[in-house]
Amino acid sequence: MAQVILKDVVKNYGDVYAVNHVSLTVEDGEFVALVGPSGCGKTTTLNLVAGLIPMSGGTISIGDRDVSDLDPKDRDIAMVFQNYALYPQKSVYKNLAFPLQMRKLPKDEIDKRVQAAAKTLDIVHLLERKPRELSGGQQQRVALGRALVREPRAFLMDEPLSNLDAKLRVQMRSEIKRFHQDLNATIIYVTHDQLEAVTMADKMAVMNGGFLQQYDSPANVFANPVNMFVASFVGSPAMSLIPLTASSKDGRVVLQSPEGWELPLSDANGRKALSAKSSKVVLGGRHSTIKVHKAQVPGSVPGKVYTVEPTGDITFAQVFVSGAVVNVSVAPSFQLRPDEPVFIEFDQDRLHLFDGETEMALKLE
Amino acid sequence: MTMELSAGAAKRRGAGGWRWAGRIFLVLLLGFTVMPMIWMFITSLKTGFAAMQYPPQWWPAEPTLENYWRLIDPSGTVGRDFIQYFWNSIWVSTLTTILAVVVAVPAAYAFSRFRFPGRNFLFFAVLLRNMFPAVVFLVPLFILMKALGLVNTHGSLILTYLTFGLPLAIWLLKGFYDNIPVQLEQAARIDGATRFQAFLLIVMPLSTPGIIATSIYSFIGAWNEYIYAYTFLTRHDQMTLPVGIQRFFSENATDWPGLMAATFMMSIPVVVLFLVLQRYFVRALTEGAVKH
Amino acid sequence: MSTVPGQAIFRDVPEPKRVGLGQKVWSSRFDYLYVAPALLVMLIVIGYPIYYTIELSFFNTPASLALSAKQFNGLDNYVTILTSPIFWKVTWQTVLWTVLSTFFAFMIGLGAALALHREFVGRGFLRALLLIPWVVSAVAASYVWKWLYHSDFGAISAMLSGVGLIDKPINFIDNTNTSLYALIVVNVWKEFSFAMIMLMAGLQTVPDTLLRAAQVDGASPWQRFWHVTFPHLSGVSMVTLLLLAVQNFNSFIIPWIMTGGGPAGSSDIWITHIYQLAFGRQRWGVASAYAVILFIVMMVLGYFYVRALTKGDEARAGA
Repeated sequence: MAQVILKDVVKNYGDVYAVNHVSLTVEDGEFVALVGPSGCGKTTTLNLVAGLIPMSGGTISIGDRDVSDLDPKDRDIAMVFQNYALYPQKSVYKNLAFPLQMRKLPKDEIDKRVQAAAKTLDIVHLLERKPRELSGGQQQRVALGRALVREPRAFLMDEPLSNLDAKLRVQMRSEIKRFHQDLNATIIYVTHDQLEAVTMADKMAVMNGGFLQQYDSPANVFANPVNMFVASFVGSPAMSLIPLTASSKDGRVVLQSPEGWELPLSDANGRKALSAKSSKVVLGGRHSTIKVHKAQVPGSVPGKVYTVEPTGDITFAQVFVSGAVVNVSVAPSFQLRPDEPVFIEFDQDRLHLFDGETEMALKLE
Repeated sequence: MTMELSAGAAKRRGAGGWRWAGRIFLVLLLGFTVMPMIWMFITSLKTGFAAMQYPPQWWPAEPTLENYWRLIDPSGTVGRDFIQYFWNSIWVSTLTTILAVVVAVPAAYAFSRFRFPGRNFLFFAVLLRNMFPAVVFLVPLFILMKALGLVNTHGSLILTYLTFGLPLAIWLLKGFYDNIPVQLEQAARIDGATRFQAFLLIVMPLSTPGIIATSIYSFIGAWNEYIYAYTFLTRHDQMTLPVGIQRFFSENATDWPGLMAATFMMSIPVVVLFLVLQRYFVRALTEGAVKH
Repeated sequence: MSTVPGQAIFRDVPEPKRVGLGQKVWSSRFDYLYVAPALLVMLIVIGYPIYYTIELSFFNTPASLALSAKQFNGLDNYVTILTSPIFWKVTWQTVLWTVLSTFFAFMIGLGAALALHREFVGRGFLRALLLIPWVVSAVAASYVWKWLYHSDFGAISAMLSGVGLIDKPINFIDNTNTSLYALIVVNVWKEFSFAMIMLMAGLQTVPDTLLRAAQVDGASPWQRFWHVTFPHLSGVSMVTLLLLAVQNFNSFIIPWIMTGGGPAGSSDIWITHIYQLAFGRQRWGVASAYAVILFIVMMVLGYFYVRALTKGDEARAGA
């Protein structure tokens, strides 16, 4: 296994930039998730690492080699595709053997490795079948097996679970995680599902519009999103964002809503709010840091319940606050009705503030 | 309640009526379709005298295979010519088919997979070829073939057949390649194959049905072609079946049973080929026209 | 671009250099190798003849193949054609031939496709039988129909008089009033199954759920066809009609073998007429001018043809 380094990688089609100056380092044995909405450039980035499409600029190295100009076959990587890309005319055995045949390994060595991979993935009984005779989960295993059989320097996975049903997806998720731990493999994993990224990866690279937005551990990305996009993309339900205006009043910084209410900020938050380029500041909060009250308490702001979604052990609700939708959660015993007026209170230590102009998170120097 | 019931019954009767109309239509259409072919066969079993009667004998009083024996008897002049025409047709059609597939496969693959500058223009140009009638090309090609010394050779036919066979072949094959997921090739390239190996080892085997279908099309097209063969070939020993049969008829103007036997023989190879490989044929034709 | 959050981080990054056309062509130079053989063949046998046809159309040519003796005569050939009454007669006959053949082949094909859409025993066999006319050579078809139409011993006349419709054999193709229509019947016989097979494939794309929804909504079979099935067939119908029209416009074999355009030019259509001019009367220049006019007409049709055929092609992803 090896380190993968992307330096200033660019892919453009004329004026359209699919990947825009992306740099990131995947350490040896690390599981990195490339995550973002569709069209954000994550799959293109993966294809650039694989060498399936030529780069417009930048360099990629795997291990100690610069592979920027190498063919996919010479990069010593393995890839698992969203639709599995199993060769339909070949049996499972021949699918697994193909990468080894291409590398001209002796026949008995091929057989040994295929059998070993099949055993690891529990597909020995499927070896003589054709891909179309397999279930989705079995095809997925074969695809993993074809990647595993060669002992490559890095594994690339392009949404490998998105064609599976919900239950199987959860199961395969833990299997891939296990696969990573057992092999200590370097994995770059593309997904549009932030939950997959959060639960599986050592680090996540959040992308949007071809740009790398944030590259950090899931915990850090969750706790300290660098901008409004990352804040609203990571976490379920999404972080709620309310556009407001910051101003100083009686020596304190307050956020004003167009509707007239004011939210006084703590000292630290007040200094953050004032560092914004203009008075436009966006307030962000996750449901777990927001309290809901039936009557006004100091530091709470008025809102109106829109929908209530009981899930059993926790009840989610959406509340209109100053024209924005705020996701909150309450205990099932706390009764909420649609259109009911409520007051919500943000935890001053865990709320997020963003510059309304640049959409970047506001931080203290 | 009664009202609704009778309305429902009427609706069912309506659907039944449509179904019956469909059946009657199919029976009439079947009659229209097969009647000429049956009459061709019946006539071919008659003697010249039996054919020249009015009203006709719907089934010959004395059916005979004499007309067929004459066509395949190499000792007679008719048989010698007919066998020659037959071989010429097989030779020209086969060679055209092989060349068309060999040239069309890489082109269709490129049009399906690559996005090189000028791709659209070239693809349109290829498709446009099918728009133009043979006659637009006939005069200059005749002169060109004459200049190349190819008049009265099968080379002239094969070269021209390629030009109308190729656009269709490229279009058909492209439809097949479009339906093969590009990820299969990507997987192969990551598994250690070169681009060409990925094409040869993964894509080619998967496009076999497409190649079969394209081959049938080329073969039938070349087998049935008349206008170029009629213009380029004047020597008997070079003629293909359609032209040869026409010559045969113009020299024996009243031998209808003989002519029918010859057209029947000419139809056998393509009809058999078509019936055996029908599913490829139909699939290829509709692949491009119907988007999935 | 400025709406992308996070761009601010990279605001000082320089834009990469633009890629020129020459560079693009160079970087995909190996792609051209795949299409080169096909293009080469087509260039020789298509590009050159088109050029030569256009050139010849401006010349007065000798009635032999010693074409180096040709003389430039400007647009004379075109004037000759457009002022000749034969031109307009042939054009009218070509329109009749194309429109009627296309219409009937399409309608019969549509009827057959609808009737065959339902699953029943022997459907595949029936479909195969109906497709045979399309596979057999037009030369064979022409001779068989010529024999069926025969003025003295024709089976069609015999059948018609057998059921008491006529008293004496009809002369179908040696008759200036009926020859063109008799040939259209043959043409429809030959190509309706092409329309049938295309439309059968089209019918398979009509979603069953929509048909069932319409049935639940109380639509009659006719209404279901008109409001659900037919709109789904519009794409395939367009391609089919265009292909049929192009093919019919370019027809040669059936009229040439059955009547040679006769009697008295009553079944002459463009292609047979041009052929007669070129190889019968050796008027290469005039024939070429005819071909050029035809070419222009076809270009207009061709525009729609290519558009219908390549619809959706761009949407597919490439490697």
